[in-house]
Amino acid sequence: MITIKDLEKYYSTDEVRTIALNKLSFKINKGEFVAIMGPSGCGKSTLLNILGLLDDPDGGSFIFNDVEVSGYNERKRANIRKHNIGFVFQSFNLIDELTVFENVELPLIYTGVKSAERKQRVEEVLEKMQIMHRRKHFPQQLSGGQQQRVAVARAVVNNPKLILADEPTGNLDSSNGNEVMNLLNELNETGTTIIMVTHSEHDAKYSHRIIRMLDGQVVSENVLV
Amino acid sequence: MIRNYFKIAFRNLWKNKGYSALNIFGLAIGITCASLIFLWVEDEVNFDNFIKDQDQVYYLPTNQQYEGEWRTFYSTPSPLAKDLKDQIPGITKAARTWSENLLFSVGANSINKRGRYADPDFLEIFELSFIEGNAAEALEAPNSIVLTQKTAAQLFGKDEKILGKSLRVNDSDTFKITGVVKNLPENASFEFEWLIPFEKYAAGVEWMKDYQSNFADTFVKLSPEANFKAVDEQVRAIIPTKTDQAGTYAFLHSVKDWHLRSEFKDGKIVGGQIIYVRLFTIIAIIILLIACINFMNLSTARSEKRANEVGVRKALGSGKNRLIFQFLAEALITASLATIVSVILLTILLPQFNILVEKDLDLGLYKLTHLFLLMGITLVCGIFAGLYPAFYLSSFNPVDVLKGARKTQGGASFIRKGLVIAQFTVSIVFIISTIIVYQQIQHIKGRDLGYSRENLIKMPVNGDMIKNFDPMRQDLIATGMIENVALNNSEILSGGNNGSGLEWQGGTNTEDVLISFRYGSSQFIETAGMEFLEGRGFSENISKDSTNVLISESFAKLMGDGSALGKMVTRGGKTYTVIGVVKDYLYGDIYGTSDPVLFFNDPDYGNFMYVRIKSGIAYNQVLQNMEGILKKYNPAFPFEYEFVDDAFNARFKSEQLVGTLSQVFALLAIIISCLGLFGLAAYTAEQRRKEIGVRKVLGASVNNIVRLLSNDFIKLVGIAIVLAVPLAWWTMHNWLQGFAYRININFWVFVIAGLAAIAIALITVSFQAIKAAITNPVKSLRTE
Repeated sequence: MITIKDLEKYYSTDEVRTIALNKLSFKINKGEFVAIMGPSGCGKSTLLNILGLLDDPDGGSFIFNDVEVSGYNERKRANIRKHNIGFVFQSFNLIDELTVFENVELPLIYTGVKSAERKQRVEEVLEKMQIMHRRKHFPQQLSGGQQQRVAVARAVVNNPKLILADEPTGNLDSSNGNEVMNLLNELNETGTTIIMVTHSEHDAKYSHRIIRMLDGQVVSENVLV
Repeated sequence: MIRNYFKIAFRNLWKNKGYSALNIFGLAIGITCASLIFLWVEDEVNFDNFIKDQDQVYYLPTNQQYEGEWRTFYSTPSPLAKDLKDQIPGITKAARTWSENLLFSVGANSINKRGRYADPDFLEIFELSFIEGNAAEALEAPNSIVLTQKTAAQLFGKDEKILGKSLRVNDSDTFKITGVVKNLPENASFEFEWLIPFEKYAAGVEWMKDYQSNFADTFVKLSPEANFKAVDEQVRAIIPTKTDQAGTYAFLHSVKDWHLRSEFKDGKIVGGQIIYVRLFTIIAIIILLIACINFMNLSTARSEKRANEVGVRKALGSGKNRLIFQFLAEALITASLATIVSVILLTILLPQFNILVEKDLDLGLYKLTHLFLLMGITLVCGIFAGLYPAFYLSSFNPVDVLKGARKTQGGASFIRKGLVIAQFTVSIVFIISTIIVYQQIQHIKGRDLGYSRENLIKMPVNGDMIKNFDPMRQDLIATGMIENVALNNSEILSGGNNGSGLEWQGGTNTEDVLISFRYGSSQFIETAGMEFLEGRGFSENISKDSTNVLISESFAKLMGDGSALGKMVTRGGKTYTVIGVVKDYLYGDIYGTSDPVLFFNDPDYGNFMYVRIKSGIAYNQVLQNMEGILKKYNPAFPFEYEFVDDAFNARFKSEQLVGTLSQVFALLAIIISCLGLFGLAAYTAEQRRKEIGVRKVLGASVNNIVRLLSNDFIKLVGIAIVLAVPLAWWTMHNWLQGFAYRININFWVFVIAGLAAIAIALITVSFQAIKAAITNPVKSLRTE
């Protein structure tokens, strides 16, 4: 599904050039659950942003679903993103002014789904995440675990081929964290490809493969049995 | 999607009530102010639009040349109208009129009304709508009279049918009512409450039959096919042809220009009320701009609060354009709410504004033009104010904002500061303008007019006042409250009769000089408080000084060196001897200089009676006594009077209006700017909460913190002062050039305005600064 080759990303100021990704290369197959691990500053989040088409690499190749997407402008990237990728963030990133229902509905609005169908699909996914009873509440009225479930609901409502999760349990206690990881696991079992950035060895065990990074490079890849 | 925008917009507004209120109220003030001005402008621009054939109706001023300069007057020779209609094919209607004040009596009911003697064509030129009678017959018979609806109601009662009824005029003549017309609108240049055939006015007056005197206002209507240029050329040729003199000609002045473009210089239109229309329109736009700047500033300053939302939406697939649209929609919703608040403010403030501008403006939201204008202002404000924040907010990089990195404020901060500087620059310019306009008005009011206008009353002469002048005057002086009483033909503040063609000793090319004529009783100079420079005044025995004249100082200068006493002046074949020279007095254009004056000892032409009250006596007592005496000698006419200094003050209507509105605009501009500054100061204090906490822990005093937060804003005001001073100087310098008699602009005006601006900004900012400075640092440094 994803092939990256010699991927490069720099951050420059007037005096200093920092290499965030240093000729990175790997493949991710459809249906895989991959964890990316490494110390702070190794380039995990940078990589995730590129994989999520939120950012553009400075060099190398990024093939997504057999299409070379590096060098795409923001409009093209946004188009691919909204139809194919769902995001789960560490700090949930729900919109405070929208209710649970409206937050989950947002990706469907951006893909032009009609109102009646939106309602049906949102309710379906809220039921699945067991958060339907809170659909009229605002994010600040929910617990951390509930908010992350809403975030996961939002990520999957468009049936994306790929879910990118950036430290999805980072702000949760262990019980809620396990709940979220189980959700992601279930999604993966239905065929959704998941790439997860994590510091947690415990969470990494849910994945099929762990890619470890250091200083913008892959230092190891381990397949979990 | 639109519903989604509405939902988010309202929830955002509600969530941030304080800032929302600042934004909405600031915009509402701007929209209210702009709306009031536009209502005023609409009324001004729509003057005389009750005349539908705007391209065909003209008034005829005359340009007359004196001493090489063309001067424009509003009266024409009486025979001109008929000659125009007879000799110029393009002119289908022509009418003479003359304005006068007459007393109307019906039974015991008597009122004075100003109206016009008019030829029948006047009715059609002015497209008058008849409620009773008709235009074809209304002004045919000499003693016919047409009344306006309002005057008819005052005399006969509302809704009474009065066609064919009689009324008494000036207690001497009976007229038959031949028509009742609808009231003219308030915004009409040439007003009247009655119309009487012009022939009634001109009957038996031989000198009105030739081209030597100008005692008629002439109006014409052109045919729809007439070529204006060709007709105007023919009009200009008529008077020179009739008089064999090239120095006077009439020309066409369009109804479209009567109100807005009636200021002439050297025979050409140089402007008029249009200057104020343009000025106030620009001011309305500036005030709106300041209000929109507020919105922009507060929105971008608080952009961090929306950064996360922008990042999420972009991550979820929203394009930049969609986000721009969303934020623009929010701005339009805010503008719409501001408009609703503004409509409430307008409803409350319009009556007061009407008193200020002496109009009867109506908000009239049922009128499509007003509704569309209000919607238009809302749209423009919403889009203009929302565009920059929309582009700014939608440009956030989702990568940066989602990882919690603070959006660098560099570019936006610079623009915000620029906008604050712009707001305060405008406010300071308004403050300076207010001070200078006030100074100029006071300067003019303090000008020595050459006579004493305090304690001087003028009254219209009517009925038996001339016949009974001597005993009436004696009775008035006998009250012990009155110093002197006199008659004169002219209204002392205005111009009056004038003419040229005189000759005098010691002068050359005298025929070309315009001289003003004053006919009055012998007591006029003393009563008015004018000053004799040499010689003596007129004797009370009229026949003793029937061939003597007094002249003004500037006339004496025209008579060459040496004393003017004993020199001769010839006018109309008669020769007069100068027996006295009076110090120049100012009349007509209060800002300019006045023409030389020739005084005649002839009370029979008195149109006004002047009464000098002794100082220190209560006015109501004097007036009570005067009324009693006037009732005794002139019983048929109501007691009417006006204090000359009140009449003088009333001449400054335009300047007073500019002065008052400058104050109002300055205040509004400052309020709006301060609202914005207040919001920005609050936001800055919020942003620097942690920093302030750390500084306090390290020992900073409240004073230190207040200065820290205030300094940045005061620097901006300082820059605004530097920009405002030359701009204000240039603007006011140009405005003052329009006055021959004017002040010099002093530097301390700029100092005061600058200090005022700094003080205002300091007060605005320090509330937030002090609040932040006294906050317990523990609260801001507590780890979340």
